[in-house]
Amino acid sequence: MNLPNYFLADLPPEAALSPAMIAEACQTLKRNRELYLANRSTQSLVNILSDISESWLEPEFPFRKFVLENAVKAGFSRATLQRGLDNFFGQLTRENFHALLAQEFGDSKRPDSMTATTTGQRQNRMAIVNAPEFQVHIAAGNIPNPVLTSIVFGLLTRSAQFVKCAGGSTFLPRLFAHSIYEADGKLGACLEIAGWRGGNAALESALFAEADCVTATGGDETLAAIRAQLPVKTRFLGHGHHVSFGFAAGEVLHGSRAKKIVAAAADDVVAWNQLGCLSPHVIYVQIGGEVSPEHFAQLLAEELERREQIEPRGELPPEHAAAIASRRAIYEIRAAHSPESTRHWCSKDSTAWTVVFEADARFQLSCLNRFIYVKGVADLKTALEGADDVRGKVSTVGIAAPEEKIQEIATQLARWGATRICPLGQMQNPPLLWRHDGRPALGDLVTWTDLEM
Amino acid sequence: MNKHRMNAELSSFAARLRFAASRRAQDRRFEELALELFALQFKHNSAYRKICEARGRTPKDVGHWTHIPAVPAAAFKELDLTSLSPDERTSVFYSSGTTVQKAGRHFHNAESLAVYEASAWAWFGQNIFKNPESGIQNPELLALTPPPSQAPQSSLVHMFETVRQKMDAPESAFAGKLAADGAWTLDFEATVAVLRGNSKLKTQIPKLILGIAFSFVHLLDYLAENNLQFRLPENSRVMETGGYKNRSRSLPKSELHALITERLGIAPGKIICEYGMSELSSQAYDSRSQKLEVGSQKSEARSFHFPPWARVQIISPEINHEVAEGETGLIRVFDLANIFSVAAVQTEDLGIRRADGFELVGRAQLAGPRGCSLLAA
Repeated sequence: MNLPNYFLADLPPEAALSPAMIAEACQTLKRNRELYLANRSTQSLVNILSDISESWLEPEFPFRKFVLENAVKAGFSRATLQRGLDNFFGQLTRENFHALLAQEFGDSKRPDSMTATTTGQRQNRMAIVNAPEFQVHIAAGNIPNPVLTSIVFGLLTRSAQFVKCAGGSTFLPRLFAHSIYEADGKLGACLEIAGWRGGNAALESALFAEADCVTATGGDETLAAIRAQLPVKTRFLGHGHHVSFGFAAGEVLHGSRAKKIVAAAADDVVAWNQLGCLSPHVIYVQIGGEVSPEHFAQLLAEELERREQIEPRGELPPEHAAAIASRRAIYEIRAAHSPESTRHWCSKDSTAWTVVFEADARFQLSCLNRFIYVKGVADLKTALEGADDVRGKVSTVGIAAPEEKIQEIATQLARWGATRICPLGQMQNPPLLWRHDGRPALGDLVTWTDLEM
Repeated sequence: MNKHRMNAELSSFAARLRFAASRRAQDRRFEELALELFALQFKHNSAYRKICEARGRTPKDVGHWTHIPAVPAAAFKELDLTSLSPDERTSVFYSSGTTVQKAGRHFHNAESLAVYEASAWAWFGQNIFKNPESGIQNPELLALTPPPSQAPQSSLVHMFETVRQKMDAPESAFAGKLAADGAWTLDFEATVAVLRGNSKLKTQIPKLILGIAFSFVHLLDYLAENNLQFRLPENSRVMETGGYKNRSRSLPKSELHALITERLGIAPGKIICEYGMSELSSQAYDSRSQKLEVGSQKSEARSFHFPPWARVQIISPEINHEVAEGETGLIRVFDLANIFSVAAVQTEDLGIRRADGFELVGRAQLAGPRGCSLLAA
């Protein structure tokens, strides 16, 4: 696929970026936003974004074909990438955009004009929301959908955007940006994509000097370092380390339902090769069901082996494969010495998948890439005690439980500090309306102007 | 089991190995010795035997040294991987605990230490004193670690102490000390005094400086802060062993070596790297240059070599077999000097296979939440 040179990420790899290039790109973005984006109606943005998403779901869409043919550049097998992208773009519908705007702003017309909600009318109040003129996104490189979401939200709120990707991970953001440019050149002209290894102070200070709002995903140290470089007036939205886990209640672990739950757990492990912060490190399985936690682990291993045939994990760099091999070796030793409390199942002649069963409820951080812990617990309370080390750092809990108990379980998890509870199998498939880390999806980006009459 | 007999069998092996090490015997007998030692360890080391049995590999099934089951280095954290009974264990070397787990323990007694010392000294001597590229005669020793009295559980310090004794150097050769929090630091004044040399002498004695990477960083930072720069005598040498463990800022090896050259005046070719770990009794050095051919490009690179009584395989983490020449994998060491523990140790370090040696890449990352932070920014 021959892509025109629209973005900094289109430059040949040997081309070095300079602070002057960054500053100039920022000025261009702001100018283009003034010309092409600041006065667009939200409805036209919803239309174009949902049209682009529909295109991405079409098998013959050239950008989709190219991305899937080069899936390895994104670090995934074709099937894994395809499922991830289909889930992502499947969410970007007109209906969902309107629901999102209503959820965030009370009314989907709020970005365009002074609008009153029913309550507002009674109170003689109206309001309008304003987006920052210029957003900068500092993207992590593990999985693509968080940065794609940031781009979509930025366009929806009419911001010019500079997306800084981790070195070597511009592939998908760049292709997505080109698809926007092709669908609507004016919109694409309000977007810049570039990649460099984080910590380049010269480039980053040129970039941060221009930003009204900076969003970033990364480790606590990375976020602190970025925050320290920003002027006080610049809004900063940082998404730090988060982990997720699953919980399966004993009552639902019987017969064909148990099989479905195991398959759902496998979906969560396989999706994006478990690399996102919504992917489970551990599945807690309640003791007392027809399927014991240990048996659950074995069934999950069998399921992961089946998935490997249809949706392979793909190759890993040696250091990641070595992390898995080294971790497996530890559990092999433990299993040999205390088989009653530790067992493990591994893909043969590869590191494609690993299931470790431990009777110990203490939460374990997985080395990911389809390495999952299954732990037996008496109840949810025991699971939460086991996960105490990561309390406050948990994003998603995927649950399988009797319907009548779900609200109760969810409330317990919410009080404990989890910010998203979803059915097991949907952990890596958050809806467009998802409040990332428990914060408003769009609400943190915008500023309100209230009109009192 | 008859304890006396157990010791007799392993002791006899130890005596033979010490003899071999002292004569730096060639590796013709490696195969035979490896299988013999495996049979002894299977018999006398119950924690190891259990692992072998779980893998279905007993001495009867193993006909080649490469098939001897290797234990992960991490297993030293969880199991007593030793054939010494608790009352025979007179000392223990701890790994520095680079992962979240507790430190690994390698138990020793007088006999196993004697083997350790024979192995360490023989190969150190071969690489530091006898090496045609980097040899050095009668140097003044400077070890950038605390003395053994302050770090009795460090195998590295024990090795430096062995070197010190063999060289007949004074105890003051150890320039390291413990800080209030137990961390290793340096007696900077004493170190600088050694580096300055004796002003009364016309010809300065070459220096042999041994230390861990982070100690060199401490020293180099101190020299930079105090605007000190030395040109040590021509034949001076540095032996540096990797590792930062958050005790100093960490530097790429090339940068560290460039700073050593800049501040101490020791040419890069005279800086030797050591690779060792508390779970082993032999060490590897990168003192030999090796010609590399990658495609049409020819270059020279240094690679690590263990002594003839230890061998290395670079293992593919995917298929658990040795990788091809030039490929990256996990370093597995078969160390015949590990007589009373386990000879076959699977490390968590990555290396590139280079003929009969290896190039060190680093450690496989095991701990820490990655999630959204993986490869972040």
